[in-house]
Amino acid sequence: MDAIAKSIGLDFEKIKPHLPWATLLALIIIVGLADPNFLRPQNLIGMAADIVPLFIMAMGMTFAIYIGGIDLSAQSVANMTTVIATVSLATFGIGAALICILVGAVLGTVSGFVTTRLLVPSFVSTLAIGGVAFSIGQWLSGQRALYMDATLRDGAFGWMVGNTAGIPHELFIGVVLLSFAWFLMTRTTFGRSLKAIGAGELAAVASGLDVDRIKIIAFALSGIFAAIAGLLFAVKLSGGSPTIANGFLLPAIVAVLVGGTPLTGGVGGMINTAIGTLIVAVIRSSMLYFEIDATKQQMVFGIILIVAIAATIDRSKLRVVK
Amino acid sequence: MYKLNAVDKHFPGVHALKSVDFEIGRGEIVGLVGENGAGKSTLMKVIYGAYQPDDGSITIDGTTVRFQNPRQAMNHGIGMVFQEQSLITNLTVMENIFLGFEHQFVSMGVINWSKMAEAARQQLGKVKLDIDPATVTAKLSFAQRQLVELAKVLTLEERVDGDLVILLDEPTSVLAEDEVKLLFKLVRDLTKRASFIFVSHRMDEVLELSDRVYVMKDGAIVDVVTKATADIDAIQHKMVGRDVDKEYYREQKQKDYSDEVLVSFDNVSLGTRYKDISFDLHRGEVLCLVGVEGSGREAILRTIYGLDKPDAGTVSIKGQPVTKFHARAGVENGIGYVPRERKIEGIVAGMNVYENMTLSQMQNYSKNGVLRISDEKLLAQKWIDRLGIKTPNVYKDCGGLSGGNQQKVVLAKWRSAGSDIILLDHPTRGLDIGAKEDVYDMVREMSDDGVGIVLVADTLEEAIGLAHTIIVVKDGVAQRAFDGFRDGKPSLFDLVHQMI
Repeated sequence: MDAIAKSIGLDFEKIKPHLPWATLLALIIIVGLADPNFLRPQNLIGMAADIVPLFIMAMGMTFAIYIGGIDLSAQSVANMTTVIATVSLATFGIGAALICILVGAVLGTVSGFVTTRLLVPSFVSTLAIGGVAFSIGQWLSGQRALYMDATLRDGAFGWMVGNTAGIPHELFIGVVLLSFAWFLMTRTTFGRSLKAIGAGELAAVASGLDVDRIKIIAFALSGIFAAIAGLLFAVKLSGGSPTIANGFLLPAIVAVLVGGTPLTGGVGGMINTAIGTLIVAVIRSSMLYFEIDATKQQMVFGIILIVAIAATIDRSKLRVVK
Repeated sequence: MYKLNAVDKHFPGVHALKSVDFEIGRGEIVGLVGENGAGKSTLMKVIYGAYQPDDGSITIDGTTVRFQNPRQAMNHGIGMVFQEQSLITNLTVMENIFLGFEHQFVSMGVINWSKMAEAARQQLGKVKLDIDPATVTAKLSFAQRQLVELAKVLTLEERVDGDLVILLDEPTSVLAEDEVKLLFKLVRDLTKRASFIFVSHRMDEVLELSDRVYVMKDGAIVDVVTKATADIDAIQHKMVGRDVDKEYYREQKQKDYSDEVLVSFDNVSLGTRYKDISFDLHRGEVLCLVGVEGSGREAILRTIYGLDKPDAGTVSIKGQPVTKFHARAGVENGIGYVPRERKIEGIVAGMNVYENMTLSQMQNYSKNGVLRISDEKLLAQKWIDRLGIKTPNVYKDCGGLSGGNQQKVVLAKWRSAGSDIILLDHPTRGLDIGAKEDVYDMVREMSDDGVGIVLVADTLEEAIGLAHTIIVVKDGVAQRAFDGFRDGKPSLFDLVHQMI
């Protein structure tokens, strides 16, 4: 990448921050030229609304990646939440949402504790916690797909999936959560601490930040966002199953990385992840247009992931790669 | 035989080697001495191929060579025995000796271990070390490991035709006196085949072993003395002695300090790192801990900052005994810390000037967790003006500032937070002269403002120039305290004699 950029007289480090939106724009133009229907507002809005659960998960993932960690439990937590939402709806109504969020927060906190106190790297700790979440989902559901009672669902969560002036409510949810996460990251002491930890953890320690606590909160937020993603998914599909969100994890990580938050952390943020998610959405719908089989889509995301990491990672922070 | 001709090496902001001429003859033992930061390790790295010179040339028997990496240097017979143990402790001795060169024992894709053990035994014989080559390295004593490192380098005897040049970087620092004697005898015996470059802090050892001694200062060779004419005091004078303008360290601006005690150590000990340390740091005082690397001065600094709990004795901050020792204790006790690793621990590269300045005091610039960013910017601008920080604006990434300006940001971070005890760990390391003077100005200004400063200085001159009080630490024990302000400044030799 560096070599290519230099050969055309550009400093790659300078154009790097602009790559995500330029990529998004280029993709939209390419796909739009190939398929004029793609650019119809109706289609674009529908596409954006469909991607919101993934977007929410990706925002949670952003907290983890921004501090230089990762949350591999996000998909399993979302899976589990679809089941919890479905089974608890009958008893608790809208309170089911609170239960989902609480369970997500607890699992994320446990990941954070394991990572910071037991010094288990986050890719292992969250993988393990993901296993726990997956099992809870299987156990609660009896390994079956469960369905929500339509009346109960509409009563408690109908507002999530309605439509106002042609705009699906998922989009509002996505925007509200984005605003919240963006504010948290850029305007609060917590967000500033995240940045310091991601960009220079040793200096953050030397400046007296409570690094462990902040990391634990970051993982808890990742768990909460994964749970909200699962809840929205369950409401959209009117049911839950311990495998329903499979295939989300890879695109969620891709969304964060192509958006410009590198695995080494410290730069990027929520707006980047929003752009990254839109890139994923466009790629996904273009794959439909070009009739790439659903079974092959993960392969495409796998390749994009590798390219995105290779292009964005800050090599000066890496001494040894294992 | 081996020659460096007018070798120059630059790093961003530092002229690390200044036209260095260096020569070593066949079978010769050459000493290399200089203060920390004089350029010894850069010079060694150029010799064994880890750095490439910017200018000048390297010749072996008149032929110019250029090494891209240490392996190429090894193929020319140049080997390095590292100061920090480079052996991989969970491998066996023989695996370490032949690390990277196992292929000579491979037949049909499999390593012939008994063949390797036999070869390893032969290498160990060269250093008179009688151990089983299949021993795991972690089980060896430090002295034994040092010999294994030497044996590893001596495999060059078989691999390379012609003569060897072997670099010994502080080989005696982990050895007891009799072990040093054995090592020296060994080195002398080995000069049949190899020449040695010997780097050590211990001047007497360098003189005992070396035929000639190169003296480095500020990246240049300032003298070459032969064994016959050598004199410890003269060498030390060359090492540290440039005629320093008193004004350089702002000595005229030095004022007496107050009686108020900020930090008090009362017979404080911590394991093997330091013992029975007592001192008082007063308001406005600059207290300097002097000693060689590993003498205990860094460990004392860490205890003041609340990181390491001592085993015995009492540490008090402003009259209150410190009971809690953890990562945030220093900040909670109002202590500011300017770390040696400025770019890693001092500033956060990737964050801008105001974000760095408020990092230790975000609670003062926020309400209910929401930052008051406009106040942060005002604060940053105030300190940019006050300290003359050269930055286009408050939004500039601190990673892109020069070293001196980064250091000012770190100092502003603590000063603006109201810290009145500041620990300076090598605050001028890697800075150019102008930036160093800025740091000295700031030290005086802080002192005037009633800040108590504990300094671990980069050079002895700096320590003498800046300090009110100097405590010399050796092997964890305070040798002597000098009241430089009231009784007159100690000389370099007063300090050096206490240090080594």
